Amino acid sequence: MIAFKGVSYSYLPGSTILDDVSLLIGDGELVAILGENGAGKTTLVKHINGLLKPSKGTVLINGKDTRESTVASTAKSVGLVFQNPDHQLFAETVEKELSFALTNFGFSPEESQERVNWAMREFSLEGYRERPPFMLSGGERKRLALASVLCYGPSIVILDEPTTGQDSGQKDRLATLLKKLNGEGKTVIIVTHDMEFVADFIPRTVLLSGGRVLADGATAEILARKELLDRASLVPPQLIDVCWSLGVQPSLQLDEVARNVERLVGGERH
Amino acid sequence: MPIIEAHGLTYSYPDSPVPSIADVNFTAEQGEFILITGPSGCGKTTFCRCLNGLIPNSYGGTFQGKVIVEGSPTTKRPVYELAQKVGLVFQNPENELFCTSVEREVAFGLENLAMPRDELRPRVDEALSLVGISHLRDKSPDELSGGEQQKVAVAALLAMKPRVLVLDEPTANLDPMSAASVIDILTRINRESGVTVILVEHRLEMAAPHANRCVIFSGGKIVQDAPPSEVLYSDEMESLGIGIPKVVQVAKRLLREGRLARRPLSSKELSDAVRGCCP
Amino acid sequence: MKVLQGFDYRRGTSIVHKMDPRAKLVYLILFSSLAVYFLSPYLLIFLFLSSVPMVALARIGGKWSQSIKGSAYFIVIIFVINFAVNLIQQLPLVDALTLSIAMSFRFVVLISIFSSYFLTTSPEDLTQSMVQLKVPYDYALTFNMAMRFVPTLSKEAQIIMDAQKSRGLEMEKGSFIQKIRNYIPVLVPLIVSSFRRAELVADAMESRAFGATKKRTSLYTLRLGDVDYAFLCIVVTSFAALLVSSLLIGFR
Repeated sequence: MIAFKGVSYSYLPGSTILDDVSLLIGDGELVAILGENGAGKTTLVKHINGLLKPSKGTVLINGKDTRESTVASTAKSVGLVFQNPDHQLFAETVEKELSFALTNFGFSPEESQERVNWAMREFSLEGYRERPPFMLSGGERKRLALASVLCYGPSIVILDEPTTGQDSGQKDRLATLLKKLNGEGKTVIIVTHDMEFVADFIPRTVLLSGGRVLADGATAEILARKELLDRASLVPPQLIDVCWSLGVQPSLQLDEVARNVERLVGGERH
Repeated sequence: MPIIEAHGLTYSYPDSPVPSIADVNFTAEQGEFILITGPSGCGKTTFCRCLNGLIPNSYGGTFQGKVIVEGSPTTKRPVYELAQKVGLVFQNPENELFCTSVEREVAFGLENLAMPRDELRPRVDEALSLVGISHLRDKSPDELSGGEQQKVAVAALLAMKPRVLVLDEPTANLDPMSAASVIDILTRINRESGVTVILVEHRLEMAAPHANRCVIFSGGKIVQDAPPSEVLYSDEMESLGIGIPKVVQVAKRLLREGRLARRPLSSKELSDAVRGCCP
Repeated sequence: MKVLQGFDYRRGTSIVHKMDPRAKLVYLILFSSLAVYFLSPYLLIFLFLSSVPMVALARIGGKWSQSIKGSAYFIVIIFVINFAVNLIQQLPLVDALTLSIAMSFRFVVLISIFSSYFLTTSPEDLTQSMVQLKVPYDYALTFNMAMRFVPTLSKEAQIIMDAQKSRGLEMEKGSFIQKIRNYIPVLVPLIVSSFRRAELVADAMESRAFGATKKRTSLYTLRLGDVDYAFLCIVVTSFAALLVSSLLIGFR
């Protein structure tokens, strides 16, 4: 359970990055934090794993105030995967990279080994055990960075801009992974400005703009409201744009939109 | 005569036994707007670097076939000469902008060409105004947003008055509004100045309506090269793992049932096509 | 590190910002040399005060004072080391104290002089000065790029530290040796990233015809104006006066 109560955050006096943010994310939810660049999304999620502490208000993770714990102890239950894998990878071998977090969080050598083996199978990295991370391809490094965070089993997983530069096939695979993690009971949060991905795969959206929460609710509802999207400086997802252009009922379901348009065309025929 | 030609282009990076691109044949005429897309890692970036001579002149490796720019093969010309004809914009503006003011950034290329100052200034002003960023001239690049930075990169290349502008996923790190803004500028420059634009993009719904040709790379080869209304509606698209724009998906259904006469590439085109169905 | 605030150039419109960087460079070189040569606290105070009008005119008081406050750490170290060494060499207590104070104060003077230069001079102007002073362009450019990417590297280092802390790295934990080892997960990605960046920047430069001609032109050239000449006069005369009188009187 993640609870933000009236959280404000300023790095320098006079510039507020988060402004009175209140938010509740229950266990096992799948949520998108959506907003343009500079809206405060990354700052918000850094409060969840304790990297940042609020200037005002409180952040409670599973009931504990983040100000009363170290980053390391909060991070043990909150995995944050950063956008650029190269900002994380440093070890001599893939195996050592995967065990880094496990060692830091105090897992026994036997359990570490088990989890490393699991991660390598799960993320198709078998055969790379002794290879230096830098020799892997871009996609493999991304998988490795993800694996090295998931292998210590955090109950909350946050991914920062996971779809940047990804092609459609990779995004589909990412969506499958997120559903799988969510299916295992993990709370999954993605930080993004990718309207299409959120529209296609994420049920709940928290819309952020200028450090404030503009809206929080069902994706299908929020992404269909023009005035909200305008305020957040976002373009609508393609299907919504089609619906608006044709004057049909906005929907994120392709079948429904297609049917409505067919009806429109059929109707206009007569 | 085409401005760029590639014949049988095959290239492997120095430490790689496998070619990144194989047997690529391609031509570009002056004034075209060519959209290049395809799954990640299929040779698009490599191809872009072949167009201004970075490959093979700076990268080495094994280069077979020919790339001809304005009649000269790229293997026989230094990069600094080819760069004046073919401008290349990269993915990450942070690694592209290295001066402390926008003005100096835009002037950098012309300074390299030893242009006298009284010609330099107006060219810088022209490039800034063409891209619509004259108001940013005194700013430092790290004060700018990603979209503004990419516009600076475009201006910096346009200052050299290239015949072709090649952009390798320039909107990858940008949010949708900045991405749309950059693509708008490219469209305008292509239309008004006749500069050939070769754009590598994943955001097909934004770029396809403006392109007159769509080229698909897969597995290091070009598998399709035709107008977007043909390529995006082809059956192969699904199997290639490329995201088909939602407009196309909706329109395809209507076409299958014979309810549409055209192949729209944007919401507006779909809306016009639907209205056009009314007697 | 607060002391780095003294090297964080921002655009400005003051006379000092607009002055020819070569004139400021002359000031920097001549007065830093004096700061290294002089040992008397009185003379050092005088040198320190020489930079104050520049700081005031340029309105950079904020960063300048932050930089000096940030150097407190180093001042204490310098004082302690010098004092210890002087005592070991069996100097009288008063002399040991005066000398150590002078050494530590010298550091402050140098910070003050250097930051009054770097806060008012853009890296590009410094490069342009070097080029017009006949330093080969490649060296001047390397220097310029190094300065330009310092804020980028600093931002990246922060991101990397955040990423590793999120994986449980506790920078402050453990013995002294362990603390040093804790920097490896931060330094390695930073260094690798810098190499990758170097390649990409090189590509970008070549794509803008870098290397096309041996003699580059420049959007701006430096030309000495009346203010610059006046400033140079004052600087060179004071330097000469101080040095000559010091040699004549035999007082440092």
